[in-house]
Amino acid sequence: MANNFFRHGSIVWTAILLPIIPLIVLLSISIGSVSVPLEKSIAVLMGLGGQDVSTIIINAIRLPRVLAALAGGAALGISGAILQVFFRNPIADPYVIGVSSGSALFIAFAVFMGTSLGIGNPFSPYTLYLAGFIGALMVSLFMIFASGFVRGVTTLLIIGVAISYLASALTSILQAISDIERLHVFIFWVMGSFSGAKWVFVNFLIIALIAGLVFSLLLAKPLNAFMLSENYAQSMGINIRVVKVGTIALASFLTSVVTVVAGPVGFIGLVAPHISRYLSSSSDNRVVLPLSAIVGSIITAIADLAARTLMMPRDLPITAITAIFGAPLVIILLLKGGAT
Amino acid sequence: MLSTSRITVGYGHKVVLKDVSLDIKPGEFIGVVGPNASGKSTLLKTLARLLKPLCGVVYIDGRDMSRMTGQEVARRIGVVLTERIQPGLLSSFEIVAIGRYQYTDPFGRLTARDRVIIEDSLRATGALSLSDRRFSELSDGEKQRVMIARALAQEPSILILDEPTTHLDAKGRVEIMLLLRKLSRNKKIAIIASTHDVELAIRLCDKLIVCNEGIVKVYDVPEQLVEEGGVEELYGFNGELTFCKETLVAEPVVKDGGDFRVFVIAGGGSGLLVYRLLSRLGYFFVTGVLHKGDIDYTVARSVGARIIAEEPFREISEESFSEALRELQEANLLVYTSPPIGRLNQRNLELLSAGHALGLPIIYYARDNHIDIHLGENKIVHSISLLKDVLEEHRKKSLEKKGLSILKTE
Repeated sequence: MANNFFRHGSIVWTAILLPIIPLIVLLSISIGSVSVPLEKSIAVLMGLGGQDVSTIIINAIRLPRVLAALAGGAALGISGAILQVFFRNPIADPYVIGVSSGSALFIAFAVFMGTSLGIGNPFSPYTLYLAGFIGALMVSLFMIFASGFVRGVTTLLIIGVAISYLASALTSILQAISDIERLHVFIFWVMGSFSGAKWVFVNFLIIALIAGLVFSLLLAKPLNAFMLSENYAQSMGINIRVVKVGTIALASFLTSVVTVVAGPVGFIGLVAPHISRYLSSSSDNRVVLPLSAIVGSIITAIADLAARTLMMPRDLPITAITAIFGAPLVIILLLKGGAT
Repeated sequence: MLSTSRITVGYGHKVVLKDVSLDIKPGEFIGVVGPNASGKSTLLKTLARLLKPLCGVVYIDGRDMSRMTGQEVARRIGVVLTERIQPGLLSSFEIVAIGRYQYTDPFGRLTARDRVIIEDSLRATGALSLSDRRFSELSDGEKQRVMIARALAQEPSILILDEPTTHLDAKGRVEIMLLLRKLSRNKKIAIIASTHDVELAIRLCDKLIVCNEGIVKVYDVPEQLVEEGGVEELYGFNGELTFCKETLVAEPVVKDGGDFRVFVIAGGGSGLLVYRLLSRLGYFFVTGVLHKGDIDYTVARSVGARIIAEEPFREISEESFSEALRELQEANLLVYTSPPIGRLNQRNLELLSAGHALGLPIIYYARDNHIDIHLGENKIVHSISLLKDVLEEHRKKSLEKKGLSILKTE
């Protein structure tokens, strides 16, 4: 019997899907309010762009943006895939552990209360990134801590959801007492977008993604055993606590870095694992995790391209795009029954 | 191999079983029986190190299990649990491959040796043909075979199974129990399985561990449990079930009462189906004279009939005969099942004549067409279904008559 990787044709899918990524990059950097011819885009990518406007647009705005979308989508895909297995719940996504709500709360804090508390300029993106990062980090640490002693995964899931509600409640109070101008800044962040992606963050995202990907491949084997049940995993000599803490740490890490850069981007983490299982017709996490990364990055980059071009020059919230196209897809996959 | 000395098992502060001392040897097939919530699962989980004993130590090969690594335990003990798993799209082969967890590299890649062991495990449980099928699409019995194969793939010396036959039909239950017995023999592994199926466990297991009311008793010979009358005690049958020691079967007792009385003359196995029919239809019936130890006696006792019995290998005594005669006078109907007649039970023929003399309606039941004795104008039936029709007709008539007489007196 051949190795799973070959048996399920996953290598075929990888071979089909991977070349799409450079195509999307090329399209993304060419399309926009300033159209750049494809040859020019290729030249810029090869470092032969020169000093003209389109080269600057590509290098400073479009390229980091599409790379951020690709890396962010991949991170969300992995995060969603491991959480669905871990919680044994097909509708789990990266945000069930409360990371984005924590992020939102701290950003709301910085935006609405920043001036009065004297924490830097509330309209500076760096203040927002920092606040978002601290919020995500705090929720992550709490969830990692909780995963170390909470016995059932369902309890952990409920804790995550409860934290989300708590953070959202506090956020809504802050929103209620704030002025319109600040509200606008905040709402824009909450809607989620890769529009603000700077090279610093892109590098940070890519390094985080690579680390996360490697770690996720190490988690794939214990997660496969986890799919049977926690007791079965334990009976095979797996240290349950390490797997729990590792899974929550990885998922919250990946989700946090994306959330900090782009805000909450919905649906990718839910739909990418389902599509991957459907394509590979496998539930083997050694196949599903890397495939979810690829599928997640492709969908996110396409959605981002659509978000900024459908109603040019306005940027639409990316979650709106992913949901409009993703929701029917999820329903079709679930009805076909091959994806759970 | 696996032993405990006076361990206490339970959850948290709740003690479930106390002073459990076990010594399990290679190749033994051990059944764990007991009523619901008697601690079978708790005991098995403790033996598998899924729970810590509240006090005491579990030893594997003389070593304290709690001091061993997960890998060391997993290579010695394979487990099959009751929880139903939903492994998505995984195939049977992939499920069994997970059993190789402690032998593969960090990415779970299978070597040629791993594959051989996985296929051997599937073959040993008769599940090799299921390899490529999705686990979620298998029947309960097939799933159980795959899960046992998965445990075998750990190359354990001990297999612990929590109620492996619970979701299965009658055939599946027997097949799985036979499979476990065979595995214990062929692979020289100790197999410890809890089950509700005491009847099967007594027949197939080498030893029984009986959990009841916080106490564990080990029976090195399962028949001893029957001999001591322990099965009925264990399940507290409340008179609704009796456990038949001779046939090792739990028999339901139908207690409908009813005022239509049937007397059955039987013996030598000629009456047992008639007894079952009468019991199931809710007749009140008396049978005799039977010799103790006769299969008819055994069955009649199991279904809770009133029996006029004689000691084995003795001629029917005056005492039993007159008792039978008294019962006959109370009866509304006599069924004669054409038993073989010899010197020891000759007087049953006298009983038949007495019934005739009393003017009782008599039904002659004989599976073969030949009936030796036939008195008067009574019915002869050759099948149990005909017997049922005739019986019901008589009962109906009798009840109608009684109803009529009640009306008259009023």
